[in-house]
Formats: sequence, structure tokens, C-alpha cells
Amino acid sequence: MSEGEIVAGYLAPHPPHLVYGENPPQNEPKSRGGWEQLRWAYERARASLEELKPDVLLVHSPHWITEQGHHFLGVKQLSGKSVDPIFPNLFRYTFDLDVDVELAEACCEEAIALGLDGKMMRNPKFRVDYGTITTLHMMRPQWDIPVVGISANNSPYYLKMEEGLEEMDRLGKSTRRAIEKTGRRAVLLASNTLCHYHFREEPEIPEDMTKEHPETYEGYLWDMRMIELLRKGEVKEVFRLLPQFIEESFAEVKSGAFTWMFAAMDYPEMPGELHGYGTVIGTGNAVMEWNLIKAGLAGSGLTAIA
Amino acid sequence: MAIVSAFLIPASALPCMKPDNPPWGRLADAMETAGAALAESKPDTIVVYSTGWFAVLDQLWQMRPHLQGIHVDHNWHEFGDLPFDIRIDTELTQAAIDSANEKGIKSKGVDYDQFPIDTGTIVASHFLNPNNRLPLLNTSNNLYHDWEITRDIGALVAEQAERLRRKISVVAVGGLSGSFFRHGIDISEDRISSVEDDTWNKKILALIEAGDSEALLAECPDYAAAAKVDMGFKHMAFVQGALGKQLSGGKVHAYEPVYGAGAAVVEFSI
Repeated sequence: MSEGEIVAGYLAPHPPHLVYGENPPQNEPKSRGGWEQLRWAYERARASLEELKPDVLLVHSPHWITEQGHHFLGVKQLSGKSVDPIFPNLFRYTFDLDVDVELAEACCEEAIALGLDGKMMRNPKFRVDYGTITTLHMMRPQWDIPVVGISANNSPYYLKMEEGLEEMDRLGKSTRRAIEKTGRRAVLLASNTLCHYHFREEPEIPEDMTKEHPETYEGYLWDMRMIELLRKGEVKEVFRLLPQFIEESFAEVKSGAFTWMFAAMDYPEMPGELHGYGTVIGTGNAVMEWNLIKAGLAGSGLTAIA
Repeated sequence: MAIVSAFLIPASALPCMKPDNPPWGRLADAMETAGAALAESKPDTIVVYSTGWFAVLDQLWQMRPHLQGIHVDHNWHEFGDLPFDIRIDTELTQAAIDSANEKGIKSKGVDYDQFPIDTGTIVASHFLNPNNRLPLLNTSNNLYHDWEITRDIGALVAEQAERLRRKISVVAVGGLSGSFFRHGIDISEDRISSVEDDTWNKKILALIEAGDSEALLAECPDYAAAAKVDMGFKHMAFVQGALGKQLSGGKVHAYEPVYGAGAAVVEFSI
């Protein structure tokens, strides 16, 4: 078996509004659109994912919360109906997904080897969280690529933030080892919003975009600052600022997916490609890509073509 | 008065799913005792406020008349499934929604097939309402609501029950000290994760048993902060609001750890 590798990572936030706005057949509620800039951003991300032809998508979601350990979906096929507990009026989605159990088990073993608590989720009646499903739908609505779903152990909330993020760093490194050992071409999906200040009331027509805007100016400024750094490839600076960003903009990246993804990719100092930015009930959402093939950091010969 | 009994029980799935582990089994036994006391109080409706049902935008209230299904806990999935069969008192719930909106607490009902019922509500239903004997009023924990708003929600539910001549049992679902063990433990040796948390939990439970409501309520903010109490102990605020001046002590049927966090089954004196 040849050594596996991570071919790309995406910041792929999960507001269920994006699925609602798109009106796929799997989702019961129907809309008149909305959040187009973000949905078009995902169209661009979908096109680049198609070119990458990965074996597997790994997604870390803040809405599968586990207090004890980092859990991994470990049932070959999971299906059901996911209803968003916060926005049941927008998201009632019938899902059916295939899990790469071999890779999930390897991720779990490697996490344990690096001193983390890892656990496989083997219950076939388990209902996959809406964050995982939204991110996966927005990236690959065909559902034809196996997935590895990873829970958000609430370590960055429970521990001091730096300690919690250090755990996510180890989780990322262990994920990378598992991918390498199992020979997979893998894409990582960090299911995180940036600034997470949001409206307290939903507009009467959820998709009425005349009502959509950043909830706070400060949060918006933080998002732009971080995106600009990411676009320039100043990853060290991003991670130096990350605790302050989280504190001052209530950023959802605190839940760890962003750190997990960058640690797995070995914090590449390369420009991220911004596919688009938009707000959803006031929160800041960026769809971004770090294509390690184009950057010459993955792929045969590791030759840069960009 | 509308309230015929009131209880505080833990939200954890562990006593329900793993009662053969002694500390969790003692909690399960205590919840069965509480269930018997609840039945004896002969309510028309059980009011369940669960810290495990998170709301963000509005105060959410369950309005689906009948909910049936199988729930798998997000953390304790290896211990099996939690089947549930719950009926809802939609008349009382709608009255509470209307009242809350009139008082400026933006509220709405949810009536959706497969809506995710939280573990705490299912545990409460399992132990305190076996065989789905009574309908529930089931409401959420809005993460942005503070002690005062939560207390007001408890109060308005009691007011509406009184207006509709419903006899209700109030069940607040939530934990005590909130520091879980984050690493695997021998579950038979489960214990409260720190001496400080244990001391705080015992102090608060002693104040409940002593019936010293004034001292109890005065200590709650410090307790919530020092012991990282589950959701800031807002479940106690709901009890305070519902019971009002009836809050005058209670009996602790059990106090045990659930993976390091504190859990108690309390029957309030009515």
C-alpha cells in the first residue's frame, strides 16, 4: 500500500440555512433561495473537490459534542433523518452516508497513541449531527465519497483555551498519521463558522436577504483580518492571534476543527483560496481551500504547479 | 395551588443505561422513588425543564402531541439505545407560549417529526412517567437566558397551570457540579472529581434539605461559578420560579457522581 496523504483542507461551515436555500430533495422545508454568495462559494469548492478525486472526506463537527474523548463514526452505513434542534423549520434532512471505518479506526488508534482518549461510535441507530451533514452536503451533495466523522470533544471549552487547542493539535497530527498509514487520499473539512455572534430573533422570512448582515462590526473586522492573513498564507500569525480572535469574536473555531485541520496539514504557510464569505443570521462564514496538490505539498513528486 | 410535587433529577443517560454500576444504580433507584412520589401526588401534567435541550433564538416548547422513537446518546452510545414514548399537553404548552410572548420572552412551539428529544427529557420520562401515563409540558434551556428569565419561565408555567386548573408536577432536569472526568475511568470507582466540588454540592443539598430557601438562593451564583454547575444551575431557577413561596425545602433521595460530575435526585417539599 502506498503512503496516504492529505490533498486538501477546506474551511466548510455548516449553517443549515445553506441547505435550506439550495432546496435539495433530501430537505423537507423549501425556500426561495437566500445566502447565494455562500452557496456559490460552495459551488466553487465542489468543483475543486471534484478535481481532487479524494478517497475520503474527514469532517470535524462542533455539533457532535462528546465530553469524554474524541469519538469517530464507526458504522459502515448510517442513515436517517436529521432535524436541526435550533432551526427545525429550515433543516429536516434525510441522510444516507458511507463511513470509511478502516480509516476511522486508524484515526482512533493514532489519537490514543498520542495520549488522547479516542472512542469508536458503533451504534447503528446513532443519528449523525446536522453540522456534519450540512458540511458534507454543501461539499459533496452526491454523497458518493466515504466519510470519517469526528466529534468535538469539548476540550477547548472545558480546559484553558490553549490547553484545549493543544489537544486539537494532537488530534490533527494523529489524523495525519492514520491517513498516511492507511494509504488514503484524504480531504479534511473543518466545519466551523468564524465570528459567531448572531441575531437573537429569526427574520420572519428566513431567506429575506435584506435582513442579513454581520451581527457586530467588531466581529466583522476580526473576520476580515483573519481571512486576509489566511489569504496571504500567514498561518503562524493566524495561530498567534487565534486565542484573541476566539475571545473577542466568540469564534466557533474554538471548538477545534480549524486547529485540527491545520495541524493535520502541518500548518502550511501557503495562501488559502477564499471561495466566498457571507453572514448567516449575523455569523461570519468563509468557505476556504488549502489545496496541497497545487501548492506542491502533496501529490506525486511534490512539485508545485501553482 | 397547581403544583402538587416537584423534583430535581440529573440529565445524564448513565443511571438509565448502566444501572448495574452501583453509583448510577443508586441514582436510578432514587429516580424510581421519585417516580412513585410523583404518581402519588396525582398531577394531570408533568412539567419538564431540561438543561439538555439547547435553544438559541427563542424559548422552544414541544408542541407535537405524541413523540415516539429511539434516541442514542451522543456520548454514551456504547451503552445502547433510549426508547421514548411521550405525550404532550398541548393546551397547557400553548398557554405557556402565549404567556411567555406576552411577557416579552420570545417563544415558539416545535412540532416536527423526528425532532431530536434530549437525553435529559427522555431520562425524566423513563423514570418519572413510566408507560407514558401522563402528558408532559416540555421546554428548553435557552443558552442566552439568565437566572431571572429562567425563573420567570417557571413562574409563568405555574400561572398558566393554575389558570387552566391543571395539577402539575415540576421536574427540573440538570446536574450539579459539572467537572467530568475527561479520561477513561473504572466506572465502579466513580467519584466527584474534586473535594471542592463535593463540598459545594453537599452544602447546597444541605441548604435544600434545611428548607433555608433564602440562603440557598443567595449561594447559587457562587456555587454555579465555583463548581462549574451544569448550565449555571438554571434548572434551580426554574424550580424557584414555578414554586415561588412554596420553595421550602426538600429531601435528597440520592447524591452520586456521574463520571466525576455531581448528580442528585431531590424531592421538594410541597
